Amino acid sequence: MDFYLGLAQIIGIHTLLGLSAYCVLLTGQVSLAQAGFFAIGAYVAGMLTVLAEWPLIPALLAAAVIAGAIACAVGFPALRLRGLMLVVATIAFGESVRLFFFNFDYQITRGNIRVGPLGGEGFRQIRYFPEHGWSTLEVLLFVWMVVTLVMAALWWMDRSRAGAVLRAVGEDEVAAQSTGINITAVKVSAMTVGGVIAGAGGGIFAHYTTHIEHVQFGVVLATFAIAYPILGGLSNVFGTLLAVLFVQGFLIEGLRFLGDWRNLLFGALILLAMNLRPRGLLDAGAIAALRRLSYRKDATGA
Amino acid sequence: MDLLDLIDTIQSIADGLLFGATYAMLGIGFTLIFGVMHKINLAYAAASVGAAYASLLILAGVKAPPAVVFLLSAVAGGVLGGIVYVVCFRFIPLVNPLATLMSTVGLLLLIDEIIVHETQGVPLAYPALFSDVIVRAGPFGLRGDLMFVFALGCVSMVVLLLLVYRTRLGLATRAVSQQPTAAQLCGISLDQVNGFTFIVTGVVGGVAGAMTGAAIGMLSPLLSLPLTVKGLIVTVIGGLGSIPGAIIAGLLVGGFENIFQFLRGVSERDLYVMLLLFAFLVFRPGGMFRTSSARE
Amino acid sequence: MLELRMLTKRFGGVRAVEHVDLAVAEGEIFGLIGPNGSGKSTIVNLICGLFPATDGNVLFRGEDIGDLSPHARVALGIARTFQNIRLFGQLTVWQNLWVAQNSRKQLGAQHFIGRWLGGSRRDREEINRTLEFFDLAHKRDELAANLAFGEQRRLEFARALSAKPALLLLDEPAAGMNVEEIEELDDRIRKLREDGISILLIEHHMELVMSVTDRVAVLNFGQKIAEGRPAEIQGNPLVSEAYLGTAAKVG
Repeated sequence: MDFYLGLAQIIGIHTLLGLSAYCVLLTGQVSLAQAGFFAIGAYVAGMLTVLAEWPLIPALLAAAVIAGAIACAVGFPALRLRGLMLVVATIAFGESVRLFFFNFDYQITRGNIRVGPLGGEGFRQIRYFPEHGWSTLEVLLFVWMVVTLVMAALWWMDRSRAGAVLRAVGEDEVAAQSTGINITAVKVSAMTVGGVIAGAGGGIFAHYTTHIEHVQFGVVLATFAIAYPILGGLSNVFGTLLAVLFVQGFLIEGLRFLGDWRNLLFGALILLAMNLRPRGLLDAGAIAALRRLSYRKDATGA
Repeated sequence: MDLLDLIDTIQSIADGLLFGATYAMLGIGFTLIFGVMHKINLAYAAASVGAAYASLLILAGVKAPPAVVFLLSAVAGGVLGGIVYVVCFRFIPLVNPLATLMSTVGLLLLIDEIIVHETQGVPLAYPALFSDVIVRAGPFGLRGDLMFVFALGCVSMVVLLLLVYRTRLGLATRAVSQQPTAAQLCGISLDQVNGFTFIVTGVVGGVAGAMTGAAIGMLSPLLSLPLTVKGLIVTVIGGLGSIPGAIIAGLLVGGFENIFQFLRGVSERDLYVMLLLFAFLVFRPGGMFRTSSARE
Repeated sequence: MLELRMLTKRFGGVRAVEHVDLAVAEGEIFGLIGPNGSGKSTIVNLICGLFPATDGNVLFRGEDIGDLSPHARVALGIARTFQNIRLFGQLTVWQNLWVAQNSRKQLGAQHFIGRWLGGSRRDREEINRTLEFFDLAHKRDELAANLAFGEQRRLEFARALSAKPALLLLDEPAAGMNVEEIEELDDRIRKLREDGISILLIEHHMELVMSVTDRVAVLNFGQKIAEGRPAEIQGNPLVSEAYLGTAAKVG
């Protein structure tokens, strides 16, 4: 039972990672920097609860805000870059963050052990949950509460004019400018919001796993971050959730049936998915079909 | 810095330049695909490493001198290049750049996993030719294996440049990169040209993979990601779509990387490469040789 | 309303626009004609701020707007349509108009929330009215990419209007239209003038230009070669030469 609870927790955390990329992808920026913001959130939150003995929620909030601020700073130079250059620049940023933490030591003595990040060895003993008596179920509920909040906020944004504006920028920047949209503000805002969500996710991740190290926040995690919204479809936040469920469920559950081959099949599955459904699982067509099934009115301000 | 340190510094630059030829080849591959199809092929470095592994596999089965491994790798690279095209680009509508990007990521993961499976994750030794040869030039020593790799890289780049600028196929490729619709109207088959581009870059990648193996002395599945990142950095610094840019940028990154490894150690080395990239992005975002195809 | 003074734009060695002087009065419908490549679209792009001028000034209501970003110019009251339609294909008809609305609202905190949420009932009614005016109400929830060409053209026009401009730049709105559609376009343009909107009309379709404009300027090779009332331009030999290369009558 604990195994499934743990699986549900990691699904929630990865959903946050995917949602952070979703925001940025809507504006047409392919950002492989989300893992970097995730890492920043993880280390900051961990250090605040372990070294400064902050309570969890303020630590997570601080981590999210700091990650968001750095994302904002990244967002401005990113404006000048397009396509492949942006991809490479964000990969480089993510790698720089990872390398920074690889070289980062800050330890203090607590009782008779040393705690804090230690370069390549990582940051151990992030034991807020066990020390404060959180059960696995309580952690799970907390994670999903945050996920639900974020998803609700993004869902509501999608239905509002803000969502249409984001997508307009993503589709055609020149037309968007000529329609009176401030594309600088939109793109940097999207990057910042993405940073905040990733920071929060990272902070929760650090406490879930109690031991973080730089290796976990590399290019692979960054590609997972954008994989979720791309595989799930950019029309809808639920697409991202679906993709996380599918990927994590497949990778972890698949161990039982496919053993060592599941990683192999994972890559093959992505290939198949992109060839068969380039717009993702929940693309505009699928959503229209679902609507027809349930006779719901769609979001046009009615 | 006294004379000995200076010599060491120059020595490491020289070594880095020689190794940089590998990066140059990878950069060429990325830049060619981007220049012609305006798409990113993230699986490129993985395919190159895969081709090198394949060459070892074939070598084990065939009785041939180790030097043949480079040719085998090139051929395997070409085949893999064709596969990449069919699996990642042929059937996905071109208006979905995100989908093609994701599919190349999928292929990268797939190739890496296959390598891990077949080798149980154990690094394999790669034939390093002329590894015991050291050419002395005053206080400097040029490693024979690196020089061979460098020479191989130079020959490949010359052949590639001849192919792109002196043959009809190369002409067709350049036509497609500039005006795909018009090119089609002139009777050029997009499918053939794109497939051809992938096969040629695959061959280049195969050679690059073999070169990397020869320069390091071994192959490991852990190579794919760092090579992908470095290759992409080289492509951007050199200018998207520019082959001469990729060549010079490759040498630059190789030299730069090695000198910082010498000065600051391995763990900080990559940070300086990133800084180099950021410097270029800030001061010269088009790269060294901006081409019109770099405009999105 | 709009004034161009010695406006110049060079792309490398190409002189797209050379020392053009132009003035559009308030409430006027001003036509801009000229052979292909004469610089008409470049002038529109310069007015909208998509790239900076090499020399000269663009003045709107007496103020030099050369330093303003494109979206700031829209907020001032300049809107445009594109020659090749540039709709947001993956957004619905409604959403295309929605994003264009509210650009002229004051920038303040209380309006900020409203803008991002989607505006008041009054705003929604406005969009509905625009849809009615352009005969697109029945396609409200359709993706813009799925519309017929004529409908897309109308949507492009409607979207420019949703920004509540004081000056509307129409870049070849009649391209690809049949006679009926052009008559409708003619009516719509006149109606807009009644609502107090000034219009700069770039067109190839001579009948439309002669019918609806108050004054016309003619460009050739980036320079203004003639200006005056439509009837005057019709008989101008310079103009016919620019278009036809011989002294033949235009229109």
